[in-house]
Amino acid sequence: MRHASRPRRWLAGHAAGQRRWLHLAVAAGLAAGLLTVAQLALLAWLVGRLLGEGAAPADLAPAFAALAGCLLLRALCQWAQEAAGQEASLRVRQRVRAELLDHLAALEPVRAGARHSAGVASLLVEQVEALDGYFSRFLPQLRLAVAIPLAVLVVVVWLDWLAALFLLLAAPMIPLFMALVGLGAERLNRDQYAAVSRLAGHFLDRVRGITTLQLFGRTAAVTREVHAAADHYRRLSLRPLRLAFLSSAVLEFFASVAIAVVAIYVGFGLLGYVEYGPSPRLTLFSGLLVLLLAPEFFQPLRSLAQHYHDRAAALGAAENMLALLDERVHAQRCAASPPPARPACLVSLAGVTLSHPGRGRVLGPLDLDVAEGETLVITGASGAGKSVLLQLLAGFVGPDAGERCMAPGLRFAWLDQRPLLIHGSLADNLRLIAPAASDAELWQALQRAGLGDFCAQLPGGLATRLGERGAGLSGGQAQRLAVARLFLSNAALLLLDEPTANLDERTEACLVAALGELAGEGRSLVIATHHPALMALATRHLVVDAGRLASVAREEGHDA
Amino acid sequence: MREAALVVTLRPWLGQLARQRRRLWGGAGLLALTLLAAVGLLALSGWFITASALTGMALAAGIAASLDVHVPGGGIRLFAVTRTLARYAERLYNHDTVLRLLADLRGRLFAVLAGLDARTLAWQRSSDWLNRLTADIDTLDGLYLRLLAPPLVSLAVIGLLAGFLALWVPTAGLAVGAGLAVAWLWLTAGQGWLGMAASRGQVAHRQRLRSLVVEHLQGLAELEAYGRTAHHRQRLRACEARLQRDQRRLALRAALGSALSGLAVGLAMLATLWLAAAAWQGGEIGGAVMVMLPLAVLALGEALSLLPAAFTHLGATCAAAERLNALAAADRQAAPPAAETLPDGALPVTLDGVTLHYPGALAPALDAVTLAIPAGARLALTGASGAGKSSVAALLTRQLAPSRGEIRLGGAALTDVAEPLLRERVALLGQRVDLFQGSLADNLRLAAPEADDARLWRAIDWVALTDWAAELPAGLATPVGEGGRQLSGGQARRLALARLWLRDPGLVILDEPFAGLDAATVARLAPRLDAWLAGRTALYLVHQLADARFAPPGISHHAHLVEGRVTVFAHCGAIGQDEG
Repeated sequence: MRHASRPRRWLAGHAAGQRRWLHLAVAAGLAAGLLTVAQLALLAWLVGRLLGEGAAPADLAPAFAALAGCLLLRALCQWAQEAAGQEASLRVRQRVRAELLDHLAALEPVRAGARHSAGVASLLVEQVEALDGYFSRFLPQLRLAVAIPLAVLVVVVWLDWLAALFLLLAAPMIPLFMALVGLGAERLNRDQYAAVSRLAGHFLDRVRGITTLQLFGRTAAVTREVHAAADHYRRLSLRPLRLAFLSSAVLEFFASVAIAVVAIYVGFGLLGYVEYGPSPRLTLFSGLLVLLLAPEFFQPLRSLAQHYHDRAAALGAAENMLALLDERVHAQRCAASPPPARPACLVSLAGVTLSHPGRGRVLGPLDLDVAEGETLVITGASGAGKSVLLQLLAGFVGPDAGERCMAPGLRFAWLDQRPLLIHGSLADNLRLIAPAASDAELWQALQRAGLGDFCAQLPGGLATRLGERGAGLSGGQAQRLAVARLFLSNAALLLLDEPTANLDERTEACLVAALGELAGEGRSLVIATHHPALMALATRHLVVDAGRLASVAREEGHDA
Repeated sequence: MREAALVVTLRPWLGQLARQRRRLWGGAGLLALTLLAAVGLLALSGWFITASALTGMALAAGIAASLDVHVPGGGIRLFAVTRTLARYAERLYNHDTVLRLLADLRGRLFAVLAGLDARTLAWQRSSDWLNRLTADIDTLDGLYLRLLAPPLVSLAVIGLLAGFLALWVPTAGLAVGAGLAVAWLWLTAGQGWLGMAASRGQVAHRQRLRSLVVEHLQGLAELEAYGRTAHHRQRLRACEARLQRDQRRLALRAALGSALSGLAVGLAMLATLWLAAAAWQGGEIGGAVMVMLPLAVLALGEALSLLPAAFTHLGATCAAAERLNALAAADRQAAPPAAETLPDGALPVTLDGVTLHYPGALAPALDAVTLAIPAGARLALTGASGAGKSSVAALLTRQLAPSRGEIRLGGAALTDVAEPLLRERVALLGQRVDLFQGSLADNLRLAAPEADDARLWRAIDWVALTDWAAELPAGLATPVGEGGRQLSGGQARRLALARLWLRDPGLVILDEPFAGLDAATVARLAPRLDAWLAGRTALYLVHQLADARFAPPGISHHAHLVEGRVTVFAHCGAIGQDEG
């Protein structure tokens, strides 16, 4: 129970931030509800005057005009209610998205990148949007579902307390039913959200590898799999819907039965068949108004039921968001790193260990100092922990034990085999890290990275647009673009994770020359690699073996 | 014009709906039944109360009067029960229909995607595609339940109601019919027009936001290193602001629509009351009927109340349909059925004057390339990145078709080879390794669905991953992350090699087979690869042959590509060429 209330509290916290817009929505909704009562009262009064007192329609023209005025005002209030609710919802969604992004940024970046990006994208886009109905419609309606029936009840009590009793007897049944229905729907909705997220991941995964599926001739089988996954989703969806619809059916039933019971009671009362209580005093006006108000008593609850799945959807989404927000940010990663003990040292690791869930200890305990101006090459069998070591140096990962020290104000750069390419122009991709760089500086960086000639012959030059994830560039060109960024940056420490993997000889030679040039500028390089030409750049060479570091003397060559 | 374009856009999807015609009519029928029961309930109740009141007054005045209470009482109960049951049945039935349609659409669309060629696939990036597959189809689900059935049913009910009013007061029937028809037109077409731009914009911005989020997450390491996370966040925020601007606009317009729908029904009720009162005064109708008519109009409110919200978002449905239409159109180049068979064993390959021109590219990717690889030979095709090596691989696996020239495989024209056979006999290890979210075993069984665990272990052993795999607590059931992220690049590559080993191809294309592997691993793998390739034709795509330790084994021929042209084609004096 405590577990279930957390998402609710979290949502309530966000609602509290938008109290003013939500209050405005409730006020407008309440005004619309009262105007509805007034409008129905006018209608009943008109009928009473016409039929009961034989008034001519023309004499009642002012009342007709007042009724039209009521309608107009009510429309205005309805509009204001929706608009204010939407404003609250928009603001909440903006805040939630910011909260999630802040947290993701605080988590380990390589892990954040490794996580199911479709699932997280769906969390940040679709599921944040799924909060909409809860704030824009459900929350205001929750208040209105209490206030408006009360207002209606007061009027009905004044008209005929026996009829009010009928309504009052039906009313407590409703929350009871809603609770019963709601409890089941909530759990099912959670399952459904997990399924939607998995389905999204499943799709992206299959689509991303569609070429491989084509090559293995497996597209037909996977198409069936996709259909089956979607159909499974249908069956999952249908179960909460069956319950959600049950709750609205219950309300539909009460609304219908209330009209039927009130109509028959009022009819019999007017015929004089009911001698009890206030019945003999019923008139056409009061009888008709009670009948017209009976559905209005239930209408706010029916609207609430319509929006009930908004609540369940928001709770499901909130739970997923909390799951992400609960992910512990490693204390070591957040804490400011103390400066290293030795003066010329940029970054140091002391007694550091790291384990991965399910895979045990992957690194350490180890000690490592990276000195100013040195080129440190780290080799080792694939999977030995070179990448993780670089991530530790970068501070992307917090160690389980030991300490990472960093020179104050150290700027570093990161390059792996999947350089970040943003959807935008070549210049956008470079200025991403050096916003103030001039075109000449961009060209110079491209030239030094060996991409100058290619870019010079592009008709769009620096303004040439790249697609998402660098569509339009080959792997080698993308890597060289990332190297151009190294030149543009004034980072003192460059961390490079297998920078030459998958590159052609020209790009590779280019890259080796470029890295040599960067080392010549006095920058420190830490390179995880297998590549002999890169190893030749080393001023120091370490080997990672089973998570431990061993030194390789320069003279021994690189036959690690 | 706009309407015509709309119909053209939606036609394929309406066609898809039409296949479930009976379910659709059934659902619409239930919807109409619910509405009519609601109208009947309120109208009959109003009539009954008024009739009771009038009878009561007559009795009080000492005039003999009577009222049959049983028929109206029964009618009221019937309407009340019908309304409840029909509502529940309608909602369940229609949602099931829609979800059925959705599963069909998802499967169909994946099949469309699977039929696209490499070029189209390369242009559409994954996160964009996910949006197509889920968001667009989800948007299209509104077609029937939001955009088709409710407006048609409400129009029918407006017509029936106007007819019913006209039976008693012809002018009221005419006024209400005409007035509500105009309102209906506004609430559907008018609202659709009003929300079109913002609604389309909202879809586009949401998609953009999604790809920015993916970009942001995948680039976090670099962004953080450069201290530019906040800057990229700014881009996200700007995109979100554009999205919210459109959402705000849409919400205000939808709110206008729902306020107008309430107003329209209210005014129609008022007009009916006025006209009915005049008719009653003129003695044309009784008092009870005079009350019944406006109440019937009042009950119509719920038929119209949901239209504006649905139609304000019409643009989103259109945009989704348009994009899916474009995707399906790209699949039209379906090749004629091919049935040519291939000989067993190693397959010879020839490329004769093959030119490949990507649309919009300045120079052809391949320019009159002529190559011949005899059966069992191993050709190393070298060249810088972008020289066209991957294009050759895409052509040989028929992922692309040449602009000019002919490719022959195993003596047959490549275009004539039967699809399953081609997939069975030609294997490619591409530059990018796709590991799928699933277990290690799932990923290996992609190549050989019927292989048992022992065979998978042999494949793992073959790529020298046994030590690593044996230490995994879950063994073959170990989950492999998205894109193989949780494996190192070298491990992922070796798993992809293991997948090839599970097949029995006659032509093997290896794009940088040893990329990302250390010298020790290469030294272990090269002899095994050499042995496995005996009796098969091999095409190695490598950037250089300088370092003998990393060179793939047994190269018999060498060709060099420079900017799409073959500059060197030489026989290297086969190194230990076994005859299969």
